[in-house]
Amino acid sequence: MYPTGDQRDLRMPAGRVLVVVVVALVVAALLNSEAIVRAGEGMGNGPTRDAVLWAGRPLDDAAGAVGLHLPRKGLDLAFGQEPKTLSGTELERGSTAILRRHPRRAQQFPQPTRADPLHVLVTGDSQAEFVGQRMLDAAPDGLLNVDVVARNGTGLTRPEFFNWEVNAKQEIADRRPDAVVMVMGANDGFNVVVDGSAYGPFTPEWETEYARRTAVVMRELGSRGRRPVYWAPPPTARNEEFNRIYRVQNFAVSRAAEAVPGARYVDFYDGIGNGRYRNVTKIDGREVVSRQPDGVHFTRDGALTPARLVVESMARDYPVLAP
Amino acid sequence: MTFPTIEFATFFVVVFVLSWLLMPHPRLWRPFILAVSYFFYGWIDPRWVLLLVGSTLVNTFAAQVIARSPSERMRRRALWGAIGFDLGLLGTFKYLGFFVSSTDDALDGIGLGSPLPLLQVVLPIGISFFTFQAISYVVDVHRGETRAASLGDVAILQGFFPHLVAGPIVRANELLPQLRTPRDPRAVLAGPGLFLIAAGLIKKTVVADELARRIVDPVFNDPAAHSGAEALLAIYGFAAQIYCDFSGYTDMAIGLALLLGFVLPQNFDRPYLATSLWEFWRRWHMTLSRWLRDYLYIPLGGNRGGPRRTYRNLMLTMLLGGLWHGAAWTFLVWGGIHGTALSAERWVRERFGTPRVPAWLAWLVTFHVVCLAWVFFRAPDLSIAFEVLGRLGAGGPSPLVTLPVVFLTVAAIAVQGVPPGWWRDAEAWVVARPAVAQGVALGLLVVAADAAVGQQGVAPFIYYRF
Repeated sequence: MYPTGDQRDLRMPAGRVLVVVVVALVVAALLNSEAIVRAGEGMGNGPTRDAVLWAGRPLDDAAGAVGLHLPRKGLDLAFGQEPKTLSGTELERGSTAILRRHPRRAQQFPQPTRADPLHVLVTGDSQAEFVGQRMLDAAPDGLLNVDVVARNGTGLTRPEFFNWEVNAKQEIADRRPDAVVMVMGANDGFNVVVDGSAYGPFTPEWETEYARRTAVVMRELGSRGRRPVYWAPPPTARNEEFNRIYRVQNFAVSRAAEAVPGARYVDFYDGIGNGRYRNVTKIDGREVVSRQPDGVHFTRDGALTPARLVVESMARDYPVLAP
Repeated sequence: MTFPTIEFATFFVVVFVLSWLLMPHPRLWRPFILAVSYFFYGWIDPRWVLLLVGSTLVNTFAAQVIARSPSERMRRRALWGAIGFDLGLLGTFKYLGFFVSSTDDALDGIGLGSPLPLLQVVLPIGISFFTFQAISYVVDVHRGETRAASLGDVAILQGFFPHLVAGPIVRANELLPQLRTPRDPRAVLAGPGLFLIAAGLIKKTVVADELARRIVDPVFNDPAAHSGAEALLAIYGFAAQIYCDFSGYTDMAIGLALLLGFVLPQNFDRPYLATSLWEFWRRWHMTLSRWLRDYLYIPLGGNRGGPRRTYRNLMLTMLLGGLWHGAAWTFLVWGGIHGTALSAERWVRERFGTPRVPAWLAWLVTFHVVCLAWVFFRAPDLSIAFEVLGRLGAGGPSPLVTLPVVFLTVAAIAVQGVPPGWWRDAEAWVVARPAVAQGVALGLLVVAADAAVGQQGVAPFIYYRF
């Protein structure tokens, strides 16, 4: 048992412990108010999110007014954390002109070799993890060098929690990939605000705004056409309600991909199981459990199918990747 | 609900206050602590609570039959019935999918097709822990080492939220006596409690998650893209990561229980100082190793049936210990490496006596055997494990070998050399400070931990999966 031996000098009354704990939480809440609001923004809709934001926002205003954000900013700098939110970005507010289609120019990208493999950044939400890992099994040996950076719980509809435009600029500057694969969209059922009005996922305004935001991030990831960006919105899920949103997202992403130079839409939705959700899939003649119990995420075994779809799409730009 | 979150911090403050207010009234305190524990467990999926309640009901009933029945035959039936139920529960939720897919593969391999329907089974968090605890309870009652307890007491023993999800695996005679006497609110073991919570937080957020992000995950995700130096650092890094992740969780669990007035068993005792595998297992996941010893190794015959049986029992115990972590060949290999090394140590000792090797050499060999086993524990499959090991001789640039990563890895291992007395003195020093100063220091530490985590949030504890 722990601790052992004489413990008299290690004891305190419960009331005093409560003071310590409450003081600690107050100090943490004041210095961390921005992070609390951000954490609240990142939660799913529900009473916990409402409560965190209800308490966090006024606290954050008060803490900011007296300069209590500074210590945390200093710590972020010390730990090398870059801010993932920023107000006034194009992701939050911008023109739909970015969705205007341009005549497609045939693009040539340097072909990878085993001596000089293609450096691919696979990023997105949690779905990116296994898909990225299995890309090495989906591509011919030695031609890819894959960097997987999954930003769990993120999407395009909550830039106040995680701004993908800001993150895309940072990741590209840090990693300088030859190509980018983006696997994202399962956390995006939230309303979006356009010109002061909120729109839900089944409205034309939401679809256009989602396409616009996708185009902004595509442009940043591709550095305006310098590298290809393969964007895969969610596949079918077990829940039909999710699928209704995913269909809209898939349409919006395909629309954005047509407008942004170097961007490619990868269709997991119809490309896997012909648009029908299945827990179990046959891969290379062997049946595997392809989805996790949540009915959304791929298992590691099942992620081989979407990884192959991505590589197939990449092979149009890099013929050496064709199986 | 996971410990280092806003939700849990709010939950704990409320529970702390109400628990101490209700402590003098056991009739109120017991249903209260049970209700909040079930609330904690059901936060992710309320259906899991039903599973826990079912396990509690069956094991309480079996223990009562064992305690009251004069017939040994009936007592044994109740014991094996409960064990069968517990293992069945574990088997269904943890191993059925693996068993079906492995059988399917085997049948497919000999040309019989894939006749079994593959299953997708949700693994309830903590099931391995509360199931082992339930087994130890009914066995202890059968052995006469503990008295059969009331339904309420068994429910709290199994469901007490600090240890529910990832241990320590508590025995009935460690917690039940504490439940029977109200805790003293004037003498809370706050020094070690607060210290352990702070240590656990730092271990998890600053060390474990950082090492995972900066070296371990990138190398194990794509070994072929990394040099030998990176592969080596990833292996050492994982040794440090899993220690800080798991012992960080246990530190917080023990610390939280101490603040509520309860003492839980120690789970780690500076494991990387071990100079033999035998010693390692007395220091690593101590509550699991003693469970395996008392409820598996000794009932199998222990070292009583001659050397061959001893080696067989050691191997079986470690293989099953590996399988306890998960249904995968990698865990079996992990257990196999430990079983082989423990048997080899025993063989050398019996054949040649205690070998006279310098302590540093014994430490070096032990540490590297443990690290070798960790490669299989961490890798998603055997081929990746061999690929990581195969990269050890590879050259090439090593951009992931950075000073912070090397520092964190070395520090996580070296800090275990700090004499325990120093920590105890530090705890006493902290307790002697004014409450407000303690609170401010703890608050600053929470902010620093959150800054270290950054916006990606705290990664789930590794042992949540088991």
